[in-house]
Amino acid sequence: MKQGSMFRKKTVPLLTMISPVTAWLILLIALPLLYMLVISFCGTDDSHNIVFRFTLKNYAKLFDPTILSIYSNSLIIALLTTVICILVAYPFAYIMASTTPFRKTLMMIFLMLPFWTNSVIRLYSWRTLLGVNGYINILLMKIGLIEAPIEMLFTRGAVVLGMVYTLLPFMVLPLLTVIDKLDGGLIEASGDLGAKPAQTFLHVTLPLTAPGIFAGSIMVFIPCLGYFFVSNLMGGGTSQLIGNVISRQFKEAFNWPYGAALAIMLILITLLIVKIYTKTGGSIDDLGVM
Amino acid sequence: MKKIIAFLLAVSLCLVFASCSKKSSDDGNAPKNAGELNVFVWTEYMPQSVFDAFTEETGIKVNVSTYSSNEDMLAKVKGSNEGIYDIVVPSDYMVKMMVQEGLLAEIDLSAIPNLKNIGESYLNQGFDPGNKYSVPYMGGLAGLVVSKAKAGADITSYEQIFDAKYSSSIVALDDFRAVIGMTAKSLGYSLNTTDDTELAAVEAKLAELKGNIKLLDSDSPKSAMLSGETAIGFMWNAEIAICLQESDDFYAVFPQEGCYLFLDSLAILKGAKNVDAATQFLNFILRPEISKLVSDEFPYLNPNTAAVALLPDSYKNNPASNIDPAVIANGEYVLDIGAEVEKYDGLWTKFVK
Repeated sequence: MKQGSMFRKKTVPLLTMISPVTAWLILLIALPLLYMLVISFCGTDDSHNIVFRFTLKNYAKLFDPTILSIYSNSLIIALLTTVICILVAYPFAYIMASTTPFRKTLMMIFLMLPFWTNSVIRLYSWRTLLGVNGYINILLMKIGLIEAPIEMLFTRGAVVLGMVYTLLPFMVLPLLTVIDKLDGGLIEASGDLGAKPAQTFLHVTLPLTAPGIFAGSIMVFIPCLGYFFVSNLMGGGTSQLIGNVISRQFKEAFNWPYGAALAIMLILITLLIVKIYTKTGGSIDDLGVM
Repeated sequence: MKKIIAFLLAVSLCLVFASCSKKSSDDGNAPKNAGELNVFVWTEYMPQSVFDAFTEETGIKVNVSTYSSNEDMLAKVKGSNEGIYDIVVPSDYMVKMMVQEGLLAEIDLSAIPNLKNIGESYLNQGFDPGNKYSVPYMGGLAGLVVSKAKAGADITSYEQIFDAKYSSSIVALDDFRAVIGMTAKSLGYSLNTTDDTELAAVEAKLAELKGNIKLLDSDSPKSAMLSGETAIGFMWNAEIAICLQESDDFYAVFPQEGCYLFLDSLAILKGAKNVDAATQFLNFILRPEISKLVSDEFPYLNPNTAAVALLPDSYKNNPASNIDPAVIANGEYVLDIGAEVEKYDGLWTKFVK
């Protein structure tokens, strides 16, 4: 009897509260992922239909030197992007945190406003800026700095620029949160005790804001691995990322099982990175914006 | 107050869902009577004026749904009940795949006298011998567009664009069958080759091409040519036609080695509810004046020679729109090569890494 009333009082309300979310998660996230996991162990027949017979050949193909070099290329680009994002976003967030509320709001608007436009369209505008006959080259030639146009577009540098541009706000926001909470008294104390500004920064400010750097890095690094449209638009598609290979398996090569295996591998890499992040003291809650 | 707002939100949410579900039933799930025809066609490919003219003449209502890739269409056709769609417009290789999967119905050609309007070189193709399952709708091919100022006026073959002097100056379609196919053609092979020694030669040749490719772009390769970013472009003829319109500096090349052709065809699905109306519709589309209506709005390569005669000079005089029949006869359609496509994917992965 007592158990029955407990069930009515606690479990039923709990179930009604969480079941829509649970159903949502199961239907839209868990089931598709499970399906991907299953087909990644399958093959295809001559009409590209999935054949449900267990095989490991999709995973064996992951260790092809070409695929490994594409994975490492993707990781290098993601790493470069993350480092540049930190270097740009840190001073930006610091200034934002220490300025007047009005200016802070203004900076926030400028940071978020571009999000109202699709990122593909914004990348196209970079193409008109960076092209051989783009505005930057025209300007540089007009003022006589260069003789012939510089090849800026369709290089690895352009891909990194595109990534940094698209993902920078994801670094600024977590940094802003931690810098905002920074206790000014600690910095003052450090100065009073004789530390030079550089020492204060290294030994006080940086350790206190490290969680923000970690959270921001995760939020830049992981999407970077999957943003294949950036490498298409800015890199000209000739130095492709792992995301390009995956999307081709589904859209052109009709090899869903192989595409699934490539994607599972990417998920594992991502999980590993998040694991390292939590092991080193990061909190999943700080990634809430994701 | 909060409760009222929550209630209003809940109600509006219900309305949103209700309107969504209604819309999806309009898309083609509602029961249809005999006087309706369900056409499933590419986006931006068949103008409303054509459907209106058909309804006006026959009284048959046309319901249109659209797709943006052959694979999308195939998935939707396989995933829905028979009779949801009557007519589809698959490309060449997809016609073959759909015939193999038993999805297409045989067409009664005696009820389609207008097939005589279609040029000889578009009929009886390898993907559908005797046009048993499909009749040509619109087509095109991939060729080269070259800037005289940047690359000279003497390019006539694929072979030439592999020359190292064109380093980083080509824009090509981001399409592995098209680029690998073009490379195979430059060596004199079929663009559907699955022979391992031939593919090894293709791989070596692709390595030569790699340095010459500045970018791969399927969405709008013409922009790279028009902005002066590249000197040579490998793209669909409709894009080349626009380049030619924009500047006299460009000329089109459809190399002797043979071009990659595509032909989108009208086909009737097995289990179509209204086969008579569908057959009638096919015959209607092949009328010269109706086919002209399509070309007026969407200037692809029109295989309907009787319709081409009606088109304005801007179409007829553009060598990339009104393509020489000899080029078509010399070209090759891409075929579905089954699991062998893995070899192509492997070559491509190495090419773009």
